[in-house]
Formats: sequence, C-alpha cells, structure tokens
Amino acid sequence: MKTRKPAPSRRHFLAGTAAAGGALAMGLPFGAPAVHAQERSLKIGTYGGYFEESFTKHIYPDFTKATGIAVESIPEPTGDQWLLQLEQAAKAGVAPADVSMMANTVRIRGERSGLWAALDESKVANIGNLKPEFVFKYPDGRLYGAGAVSWYITLVTNTESYPEAPTSWAEFWDTENKDAIGLLALSSNSFLLEITAHTFFGGNDVLNTEEGVIKVLEKLAEAKSNVKLWYRDEGQFQAALQSGEIPMGQYYHDVAGLAAADGFPVRSTFPKEGGVVDSGAWVLTKASKKTEEAETFINYMCQPSVQAALSRKVGTAPVVPRESTDLTDDEFNAVSSEIAPIIPKYDLYIDKGDWVAEKWIEMITG
Amino acid sequence: MAELRLDGVEKRFGPIVAVDGVNLTVPPGTFLCFLGPSGCGKTTLLRLIAGLETPTGGRIDLDGRDVTGLPTHHRNIGMVFQSLALFPHLNVGENIAYGMRVRGLDKAAQARRIDELLDMVQLTGLAERNMAQLSGGQRQRIAIARALALEPSLFLLDEPLSALDAKLRETMQVELRILQQRLGVTTILVTHDQREAMTMSDMVAVMGDGRIQQVGTPLEIYRRPANAFVADFIGTTNMLDGIVDGNEVKIGGARFAVSDLPDELSDGDQVHLSVRPEEVLVTKAGCAPHPPGGRLEGTVAFVRDVGATIETHIDCGAVRLIAAASPKDRPEVRSGDRAMVSLPPDACVVLAK
Amino acid sequence: MSSIDRMPGRTGHRRALLVLAYPSVMLGIFLVLPFCILVALSFYYRVPGGTYEPAFVLDNFANLAKAFFVNNTVHTLSVAGIVAVLAVALAFPFTYRLTRLPRRKQIPWLIFVLVVLALSEVIIGFSWSVLLSRTAGVSNIPVWLGLMDRPMSFTPSGTAMLLGLTYLAFPYTVLVLYPPLSRLDPSLAEAARTMGASPVRAFFTMIVPVSRPAILAALIMVFVFTLGAFVIPQVLGRPQHWTLAVHITDQALARANVPMAAAMSLALLAASLLLIAVTVAIGKSRRAVP
Repeated sequence: MKTRKPAPSRRHFLAGTAAAGGALAMGLPFGAPAVHAQERSLKIGTYGGYFEESFTKHIYPDFTKATGIAVESIPEPTGDQWLLQLEQAAKAGVAPADVSMMANTVRIRGERSGLWAALDESKVANIGNLKPEFVFKYPDGRLYGAGAVSWYITLVTNTESYPEAPTSWAEFWDTENKDAIGLLALSSNSFLLEITAHTFFGGNDVLNTEEGVIKVLEKLAEAKSNVKLWYRDEGQFQAALQSGEIPMGQYYHDVAGLAAADGFPVRSTFPKEGGVVDSGAWVLTKASKKTEEAETFINYMCQPSVQAALSRKVGTAPVVPRESTDLTDDEFNAVSSEIAPIIPKYDLYIDKGDWVAEKWIEMITG
Repeated sequence: MAELRLDGVEKRFGPIVAVDGVNLTVPPGTFLCFLGPSGCGKTTLLRLIAGLETPTGGRIDLDGRDVTGLPTHHRNIGMVFQSLALFPHLNVGENIAYGMRVRGLDKAAQARRIDELLDMVQLTGLAERNMAQLSGGQRQRIAIARALALEPSLFLLDEPLSALDAKLRETMQVELRILQQRLGVTTILVTHDQREAMTMSDMVAVMGDGRIQQVGTPLEIYRRPANAFVADFIGTTNMLDGIVDGNEVKIGGARFAVSDLPDELSDGDQVHLSVRPEEVLVTKAGCAPHPPGGRLEGTVAFVRDVGATIETHIDCGAVRLIAAASPKDRPEVRSGDRAMVSLPPDACVVLAK
Repeated sequence: MSSIDRMPGRTGHRRALLVLAYPSVMLGIFLVLPFCILVALSFYYRVPGGTYEPAFVLDNFANLAKAFFVNNTVHTLSVAGIVAVLAVALAFPFTYRLTRLPRRKQIPWLIFVLVVLALSEVIIGFSWSVLLSRTAGVSNIPVWLGLMDRPMSFTPSGTAMLLGLTYLAFPYTVLVLYPPLSRLDPSLAEAARTMGASPVRAFFTMIVPVSRPAILAALIMVFVFTLGAFVIPQVLGRPQHWTLAVHITDQALARANVPMAAAMSLALLAASLLLIAVTVAIGKSRRAVP
C-alpha cells in the first residue's frame, strides 16, 4: 500500500477537498466530451494530487483520442480508505470509479473479498507485454488486475546538509544522524522491515517467522532516536526535506526527482542494498457496468509506448520489460536502477497484517 | 467617622462632562444624599468617591488624606450597589465575610462579626442560606451588612432601594437611617427619589448638569431653593414670572411683598417667584378679611381631593396656581367659583432668571 | 357525526406530533443511527488479510485489554485534560477582559477569534510545525538578534503538540465562555474591590468561582473536542504522543480494520463519558457543600 498524496506540501491542503468532492472539477478538461450522452466514458481513480493531475494532463487525452472513450478522472484517497469506499458502494450497487489504481496490499484485500470484476483476457491481449509478476489473477485463474506503474522508495537527502550522496540504508542507524531522519509511519507503506532485513539480515528470509520479524523490529528500534518524523503525509516530509529541517529519509524516487528538477536541494539515491520497488495495479470494481471500456483502457495502458510515456511524463518505472520500450539509458535511470530492488514481502501485511501492525506501533511509540 | 472633601472634582467621558467641578464637604457622621434626575452625574460622582472611576480633574480627600489616586481596595469604603452585587456562588455568611477573608481575619472573628452584622440587620441565624432563597428585602439587608462588615470610614449607596416595592422601600429607608445614626458612619446615598432623600438625610446635595445645584438640610432645600432648577425639581411649586420693583415683585398688575429679596437683584430685573402649593391661601372672592401679602383673583378650575390633601387649581389670567391644604383647612370654594389667592411674603422665594 | 366533530382536534394533534417528530427524526438519522451502526460494527468479524464481515464476535473488545491500548487511552485522556485546562486558563482571562471592553473595541478581537476558528486542524498543525521548525521557525529571531548561536527546532514534541491543540481549542473556548461572561454583572467585581480585594484578587476570589458553571462547561467542551483531534498529534507530536484518535484513524483507514476502530471509539467514548460524569459530580458537590 502506498500513500500517494500530492507532492509539494502546499497542494496538500487541497487533497482532502479533491478526494471528497473535487472529482468533477478535476476531471473537467475531459469532461467536455463526456457531455455527449451517447459517447462511451469511463471513471478512473488514481491517487489524488500529483498522480491524478499527471494522468489527467499527459495520459488520458491520448487514450480518448485513440479509443473515443471519455475519461472522468477521480482523485482517490490513500490507504485502505478507497477500498472501503468501493466495497461499501459495491454493496449498494454503485461504482464511485470504474477502474482504480490500487497498491498491492489493498489490491490483495480486495481480491480476498472478491471485490474486483473478472476481465476477459482476450480483450486485454496487451497484458502479455507485462512482466509476469504484474498480472493478477484469482486463485481459480480468472484475470482481475494488471500492473499500472511501479515506483521506488529510495534514500533521499538534502544536498546542502549532505554534500556527499549516502550509499547505504545503514545511514538510518548512524548516530551522526540524530533527529535528522524522516520515515513513513506505517509498517505496510514504509517497508522498513524489508529494508532492515536487507541491510542487516541478508534479505527478506528473516521475515518468514514471527521471531524473525521481532528481531528485525528490535534492530529497527535502534534507529528510533534518529527519526525526527514518522510521516503519513508526503507533503509534510517533502517540505522538511527541501528546507533541510529533516535532511534525510525514505521517499518516493519519482517525486524526489521532480523536486530536484524544480531546483530544490534534494537528491534521491538507490542504496547499495537496493531501492524498494512497489507498484500499483488497475482493477475494476464488480459494481461497474463499464467492463468493456475498462478492458479497452487496461489494454491501452499495457502498451510499451504508453509505459514509456508514463516514465517520461509521470516519472514512474515501467511494468513492461525495459527492452520492449524505447526508453534511453538516461530516461530509464531517472526512474529506476540497475541495482537489484528490495521486493516487499506483501504476504506479511496480508496474512499477519494485524499482528505486524500491532508490534510495529508498539515499537515506534514505545 | 470621617470627613469627605471634594475639591473641583471633574469627570469627562470624551466630550461629555459627567461631573463638572464639584466642591463639597461632608462632615463626619453626616448622612448625605445626592439627589437629581437621571443623567445628572450623581452616580458618576459616587463612583469617583469610591475610586471606581478616576477623576479627570480635582481632588478627593477622605479623613484629611488625599485619596484621588488611591485604588478602590485601599480606600476603606463600604458600598451597596444598585444591583446589590451579591455573590451568587456564596451563601449569606460567606458574602458578608468576603471582605474579612480578603483582610485575612481569622475564622472565629469572622463568624462573630457575621452574627453581629446579621443581628444588626435583623436576619439572625440566616448565615447558611443561599442567595436564591432570600426575599428582596433580605437581600437588601445582606448587601448593607456586607458593606458595613469592615467598619468603613465611608458608606456609599447607589440607589439601593429602587428595586423594592413602595411599602418595603419606606420601611427600609427608616431602618437604614436608624442604623446609620447608631453607627455614626459618614454616608452618601444616591437617589432620584426626593421623598427618600428627605426621609433619610441630614444633608441633601441636589445635582443637575454635572454640578451640585444646592447643598442644605432637606427643609432648606425645600423651603429656600437656591435656583429655579432646585425649586422645580424638589416637590411641586408655583413658578410665576415677575419683575423686581423695590421690595416687591410685580406679576401682571399685582404686587407681592417678599420678605427676602436677594441683594444682587435690582429694580426691573426679571425673576421667578416660587411659592409652594401648601403656602398658597385660597379664599372665596369678596370674603373679608384677606390674609396679608400680595394677592391675585381668579377662577377655580378644578378641585382635587385625595383625602390627605386637597389641591385647588385656580386660573388667574395667564397663570395657573395650585394651592394645597389639609382637610381641616379645606377652602370653601368649588369649581367655577371666583377666588382670591394670597401669597404670604415669607413663602415667596425670589429666584434670579 | 362525532368523528367529524373531533376532526379538527385530531388534525391539530397530528400537526403537533409532526412538528415534534421532525427534530426527533433528524436526531435519529444523524446521531442515533450512526451510533447504532458504530456499535454494530464493533461486533463485526475482522477478516484477516481482507476487510470485515457482519458477525457477532467479542474479539475486538478483547483486543482492548492490551497494555498498549489501555496506556494510550490514559495518555489520550490526559492530553485532552491538559489541553482543556490550558485552553480554559488562557481563554478565561482573555474573554473576561474582552467582555469588559466597550462593544466597539470587542469587535476586532471577536473577528480575530472567528478567523482562527475558521482555520482547519490541518492548517493549524502545519503552520505551527513551520513556526517551531529550525529552518523557518521562531528561534531564528533570537539568532538574528544575536541572543542565540544557532536556531533550534521545537517540533515534533509533546510541548509542540499541546501548544497546537491548545491553539486549535482556544477560539472555541472563547466562544463558549463569551455569553456567560458578558452577562456577568460588572458591579460584582467592583463590589469585591470595595471590600478590599485588588483587581487580581477579585478576579481569582470572585470572578473565577462565580463562573464555575461556565468554566466547567468550557472544560468539558475542550476535552471532548481535543479527543477528536488526529492531525495535530501526528504533525506536532512524536509517535509516543499520538492519541487514540490517530490510532483509530490508522485502524480504519490504513488497515481497513473498521470493527477494531469502532470498538476503540466506543471504549474512548465510554472512558470520556465516565470522566465527564465524575467532573460534573465533583463540580456539583462543591457547590452544595460551601
């Protein structure tokens, strides 16, 4: 699960409104074609803020041009909130959005409660382009989701406070960095268990047992006095990172890149242990009546050319093999890395989610 | 007992002059009333004396000490407010003891004094009562007891009886006066009710327009008003326009002898002649002998008999005179009769215009 | 015949019932019904790895017995209590002074209070985090004046959180205290002064005790209000300062564990009602026994 709130903090204040009722206004540029009743249309949800704005600006217009399907863009709230809303709405037979981008843990929760509509594989032939780990099926083999984009959580620093780029996640444990670090507040979106496991325990295997998880948590607790901020809100950390108030932390590679491009003294580094790769998937709520349009959309999004456009315009990493895209080395390195990534242990947050969350909160508040 | 002396005391609120250069000496033990219509500055003057307002000019001496700049809580005064300002969260005893608690008196002394004060205001044994359980008259007495608890050198009352009904008010007036005489505390009471002022005070200061118009005993004020304002404000009076001529005042064609003509007046000056109704004598026209003094003839317009007094209204040309008499001196005239009106020289007060 | 005679009476009665029914129905829809849903949700079954489904299980309440939850409830109630005391301690003298001013001079202050009232918890939290920061905060002023060597950060910390919450509650406290204090007879304080009490002493020995009902009402209002704050504890406090509202939000929105969130809310509600009942009882008994 990934918290996707608008990147610059000043936009944060708008996020709540946008999520609550701004959908219509946000979708306006594409609302125009939608007024023709006979036209085909689709409501698509992405994380409100930077993500939703970028998709609206760079991706949906081409899709509408190519398929004639108008898009109404819905900014969705973060965490499990959107899942709960979709679930409640589905019980009432309503779909606040037809297609939604869902982070992995949330996608799996939805899968377990059977919330996602099955898709006709023949209608989304392009799904074959995706790396196999981005094709999502019910246990009985029905297809229900396709990878949308992937992104990295990396080690970020303020370039004025740290003239030299750090090279390892172990910086978080360095007593030199007391009260200098900002980390994500939740076990399920920070993936700090995996980061700690890779940095000190040689990989995710230690997380296979509860004792192992406890051991990792104890190791992580040693870094606590260095952590100034456990953030739920990206904007809060980004502002602090840019000003140097909190000069180091974990953050999204794509957003950090945008901030750097805007001239802020911010850098994103893939540590030698690897950046954490996470991804979002397109899913269709079973309450939607727009199955065909949704399949057309997902099929469209699975094209390598669209994936390349996403990398260039939105800053996400492709979910198709790099070779199938026309991305240059520079373009690819801007959104990804050759260093093997840390892959989140999603089942930990699903099957033992409540237990991990409980231990986690006891650790950070203790 | 303390003497209060005001010297040129002035209070302005922006452009409004509420108290305009008041000079006054209140001898120790005196009960003085500030009497005047609303807006005359009497309450402001009382508040200046209490220290609740700061004068914009002049000085206030209490007991020979300049207290002009002294804050209220250092002045040793007791005050009863118009709203009584009893503390609703405290019971009777606690209300009375408030000042003693502030002074740090010990509990036993407080309790003794509470009993003493409750005896004094005839509310023995009510110390534990809540304020909400008291009648209007009882609340009044508590407020008085509380103000007197610290044996103040000056006892101030701001229209304290105005909320009571007429009968209770009169009882309280008498009681308060007796209490004040017993304690001998220098007391100033603000009122707009002249009957109240007359009943209670040794001295009355009639106020108008932010100034003291006249200070004197109640009788002096009534009998010898210093100016038209006082004459008009105190009681009812017959106010006649006339011209000074020798030792007499000419009104229309008639001449009236006056026993006391102010020195500063000379022949030809326009004056008011003020005569109290009860001084006016009415006889049937043509009946001799006429009492001494100047007289006018007129027609009886109306006789108003309210039992205790009989008022006769007589039209004499341009002026209408009112005469008041007790039943045993009832004039033998009726409405429509021609009547002769006499004004005794010593009842005629000449006021400069 | 008789039924016709009784018609007007009946319709009048019916109309009265309708008028009375309106607030009851509204109250039912917007207060009682959501509360019943909350109670029902607290017994639902949490599907591990999924969301939740209707059931009648006591697991959620059993989870509340854990030390973490109990300690955090105590912490949350303490924070709300401290903020209530701070807000009332600041707002009471402020409001009292305000009500003693002439109307004309009160208006700009009231406008200021209303403007602060219009700020959301999010804006207040983030504004204070900037004000208390090392890079842009208040400590730069003494540094600029040469009084300090280098700027420092005051956030996140327990003090910063209390400051933020008190700031958030302040305008509400003023508005709760304003009506009773402006009705207070000005001669009460003057009477105290004529009896030898200095203005400060009169304030503490007369104005404060006489306003006890208003103060109690304000304390309870701020207390309850603060229990619901979940942004400021996150933004200005460290994890150990996070209140139950933060954890409830996490349970519901970040973990889809709505039944647990409902159970936690009910427990917090019960604990606060108990505390308020005790406060009111103490307030009453003090009044009865002088």
